[in-house]
Amino acid sequence: MDRNRFELLLDAYGADMRRWPANERAAAASFAAQEGAAEALLEARQLDAALDAVLGQEAPSSELSARILARRPQGWPLDRRALMALAACAVLGLLLGFGGGQLAPAPDNQGAAFFAMAFEAPPAFAIEDEG
Amino acid sequence: MIDPDAELVRSAGAGDAHAAEALVRRHLPRMVGLARRMLNDAVEAEDVAQEVFLRVWREAPRWRPGLAKFETWMHRVALNLCYDRLRRRREKPDADAGLSVADPTPLASDAWLARQRAAKVQAALAALPDRQRAAIALVHFQDMSNIAAAEMLDVSVEALESLLARGRRALKAALADVAQDLLGDADGAARM
Repeated sequence: MDRNRFELLLDAYGADMRRWPANERAAAASFAAQEGAAEALLEARQLDAALDAVLGQEAPSSELSARILARRPQGWPLDRRALMALAACAVLGLLLGFGGGQLAPAPDNQGAAFFAMAFEAPPAFAIEDEG
Repeated sequence: MIDPDAELVRSAGAGDAHAAEALVRRHLPRMVGLARRMLNDAVEAEDVAQEVFLRVWREAPRWRPGLAKFETWMHRVALNLCYDRLRRRREKPDADAGLSVADPTPLASDAWLARQRAAKVQAALAALPDRQRAAIALVHFQDMSNIAAAEMLDVSVEALESLLARGRRALKAALADVAQDLLGDADGAARM
């Protein structure tokens, strides 16, 4: 580390050595201590402070986050698809059950009489056969 | 190369709402901050940040870790969007650009002073060439390492240092009074 390199680093990265290249920080710090670079460090620190005057003014609005999230990818993972298919089958089954019940003819008294006749001997038919 | 965002990006791309929210929480303030430093316009900065995330949502389902860190890619997208807007501004200058509207609300003197200082810093940043401003935005405001910032700007570390040094020298000249005021205040407060 020589003076030229130290001054370039100070000009480029400012006084906060956490911003300096990691592999040069130690050498730069010991150079600053030995060579007495106090004035140059003060000037760099002044500029850092001036730049920091604009920090904290860029918090995004909550509306912006909401707008962005409203357009996020709407993925359909496999397990969710399977659940949706099952739900669709259940709904279809219910609809067919109700709909089928509505389509079937309603039971009436005449149907019941024919049903009973099937188990009784019809005398009228027997008389006709004999005659 | 370990990318701390890779898993979140993959999950967000598959439709995971929590992962998408985490990405927005982690990166949105930095995208807005970078765009604001570059454009000196809060509304345009939010537009750029939104556009960056729309591209993120588009790319997330097919994001492949390993080519570039996700954060590096996002910063590149944001910078390119800012460069496009800056170019359009130069081609089609706005007559009202740079004019500040007087704030009718009287402010307490400290708050007013802070706003004045911030406006002066923003104006000095805006007067820098785009690449110098981008280098300072990345290293000073986004706290990027020199290697990451050089990668985002697609230059060598030496070229990055040159951009930074030239930019900061210009700012030092433009902001000498602001800088002295600020450190004067700090020294005064320390002595009290």
